[in-house]
Amino acid sequence: MKKQILLIIVMSIVCSGCTNLGVQPWERDLLAKDEMSLSSSPLDSALDDHIYFSKEASSGGKGFGGGGCGCN
Amino acid sequence: MQLITDKQQGEIPEQKINIKAALTIATTALFAGIAQADTLEEDNWEFDTAFLLYSEVDRVSAGEVILNAKKTYADEEVLNLKLTIDALTGASANGAVAQPYVQTFTRPSGNGQYDIAAGDTPLDDTFHDTRVQLNAQWTQPISSDYTGSAGIHISKEYDYLSIGINGNLAVDFLQKNTTFSIGASYFQDTFTPEGGIPKPFASMLIGDSSAPDWHEDFAKTRIGTEDDKTTTDVLLGFTQVINRRMIMQFNYSYSMVDGYLTDPFKILSIVNNEGLAQDYVYENRPEQRIKQSAYLQSMYHFDTTVLDLSYRYMWDDWDIESHTIDSRLRIPLGTGSYIQPHVRYYQQSAANFYAPYLMQSDFESHRPEFASADYRIGEMTAYTLGLKYGMKVNNGHDLSFRLEYYHQAPTDAGFEAPGVLANEELYPTIDAIIAQVTYSF
Amino acid sequence: MNKQAKGNEIKRKLTLTAREDSYCLSFNAMASPCEVLIETESEILAEQLGRAVAHEVWRIEDKYSRYSSVSACSKINRSQGKPVVIDQETFLLLNFAEQCYKLSGGVFDITSGVLRNAWRFDGSDNVPTNKQVKSCLAHIGWEKVSYDQYQITLAKGMELDFGGIGKEYAVDKAIIIAKSLTKLPVLVNLGGDLSATSPRKNNQAWQVGIDHPGLVKKHSNDKLNSSADNSSVKKVIVSLSQGALATSGDANRFLLKDGKRYSHILNAQTGWPIENAPYSMTVVAPQCIQAGILATLALMKGGDAEKFLMEQDVKHWAIR
Repeated sequence: MKKQILLIIVMSIVCSGCTNLGVQPWERDLLAKDEMSLSSSPLDSALDDHIYFSKEASSGGKGFGGGGCGCN
Repeated sequence: MQLITDKQQGEIPEQKINIKAALTIATTALFAGIAQADTLEEDNWEFDTAFLLYSEVDRVSAGEVILNAKKTYADEEVLNLKLTIDALTGASANGAVAQPYVQTFTRPSGNGQYDIAAGDTPLDDTFHDTRVQLNAQWTQPISSDYTGSAGIHISKEYDYLSIGINGNLAVDFLQKNTTFSIGASYFQDTFTPEGGIPKPFASMLIGDSSAPDWHEDFAKTRIGTEDDKTTTDVLLGFTQVINRRMIMQFNYSYSMVDGYLTDPFKILSIVNNEGLAQDYVYENRPEQRIKQSAYLQSMYHFDTTVLDLSYRYMWDDWDIESHTIDSRLRIPLGTGSYIQPHVRYYQQSAANFYAPYLMQSDFESHRPEFASADYRIGEMTAYTLGLKYGMKVNNGHDLSFRLEYYHQAPTDAGFEAPGVLANEELYPTIDAIIAQVTYSF
Repeated sequence: MNKQAKGNEIKRKLTLTAREDSYCLSFNAMASPCEVLIETESEILAEQLGRAVAHEVWRIEDKYSRYSSVSACSKINRSQGKPVVIDQETFLLLNFAEQCYKLSGGVFDITSGVLRNAWRFDGSDNVPTNKQVKSCLAHIGWEKVSYDQYQITLAKGMELDFGGIGKEYAVDKAIIIAKSLTKLPVLVNLGGDLSATSPRKNNQAWQVGIDHPGLVKKHSNDKLNSSADNSSVKKVIVSLSQGALATSGDANRFLLKDGKRYSHILNAQTGWPIENAPYSMTVVAPQCIQAGILATLALMKGGDAEKFLMEQDVKHWAIR
């Protein structure tokens, strides 16, 4: 019985967590900033990807890690 | 300056006449829901340019220039064109181990040889290449919650050609708080190395390259002039706005590479029990590699600073596993300028066929199917420390400078170092400086 | 006015009066008597329309009043230098206010409300010192406001006052609502700022009695009396076939010291009253908010007020 109650509590916390995620359109003041963009400096990323692609065994993850140069 | 003054002088009487008209425009905007500042700026190209210098101590140096042009059309369609040019020069490890005596190697082209001093890590200093890359990407809303994107890629260097296409579809849910995306890309690469494709495990021909039968003998170590590979990637993405300050992204990617994955310029030392090199053989890698990765990124907006934190776990069927942690903290300094420290940590395990050298006895009794001494698929840790400074210059353009230090430390994955190798540096570290200037207008 | 805001909940009632061939719905909002006239015989339509208009006006009052502590305006004014989230409507209003600021060369400024800390136009001789005005000016200046579609940041001590455009904006919004509900002629009058969707039946002009405070003072003691409605000395009848009309200026609000009259029309750049400004200015324009701004901009030209509007080819009446 105790376990069930606990489970219900946990479930409702998880669920309320889900429904509480996200913002209303007018709350996007911070998210709308350029620096909050997930790829805020695309050129930096492109250059970094090229460096690490040619120096390490991993690539991609954030975007496509495909071919593109003979550096590896 | 003169221009500005003239313009201002010209505007004063004009304003006097046009206040009524200007107010009508402002009023229309107010009730039609259009912000005035926005309407004027549309349909213009935005340019981002970057110049990067990458320089390793005693090894390669590279310069790279990117010119990115982006145009946003009225219906939120975006055309992005990118030109990348880079030039590489300097010396790169050829895979052989250092020896207590001078070693002689043949250049990949077969034309000439080079000597490496006793105790030095063998570096081939013939690397110089120029690469030109073009990308075009078209992104547009398909319906109110669907965004589609398609692009092409072409990259050409002296001995390498890569052509690729990609497509992506993103779907927004719950007032754009949640986004799912699915994308795929396909690359077709052709490698035409100078001197042709070496025969796997063939001994590097060393001797008098001006001898009459040299070219005939060298040709015997080759199996062709070119080879190719294809790369197919599938990327699944999930983006979630957590709250007003935080957004997260989770990606899973599956990448299948088929074809010629061997590096034609890399060799392995065959050493005897005293650790002395008896032979150098061309490396050989499997013809397929399946890589997968899980990537998690979060952006968090504190009162003023913004933290960008990401983690990537990558694994493949060559038994390479890697962990990458990347963090940037953007600290505004007021009036549009900021500094951004950057820390990156990277750790990878070795491919199952990686070997810093091969033992002669093993090589002769049961030759491995695949082997490579390329430190880039060996065990290593690396870190990057960087600082970026950005500022607003005239007319709100962005100018930024970035300086980073990259340290790469290959580590011993448990290979014994017989005889003289015990005294040689088998896992030399690499230190590099990355300097970059970016200007957006 | 503060008391009025507190009493909003009780005072918010709508009165329907049947006239010969129309209905009049009156209510109070923004410290003024308001009315909606609709030429219809349908009481249901009249009431529905009146209710929709009144609710819209009250909504705008609640959102942009600086007297209500829960308004969006007060939220911004209490922000103490921190960014405040705004919605699209506020963004558009700020954008409009910015255009007005630019067009006036900085004389019209919705951040100038802070000047009320120095100036109280109660008819006394209580003229502030230069120092008092200067200390207010430190907290004034649209150029110090940073805003975009999502947020606004005011420097500490700064305040926004939508008083200069709010009522006129409400008139225009009310007209948009009226037009969406009916094709019949409707006139919205919010305390003398008014607009009509179309002329009355048979192309007649609307006749509206305005009891704008700007006119009251003059009527009670000078020759303009002849134009006043005889039944009520406070009212003046204007006729309007379509478009909007707005009045700026309040002849009751002034200071008098050493024989010098200080009008309540303040220059946001200097913090001091505009000299030689008319007591009030009434302007006709296609939309009420335009009329209101033109009237205000004209007053800020002081002695050249009428000349300014004549040059702009704008129909107007000045009271000096």
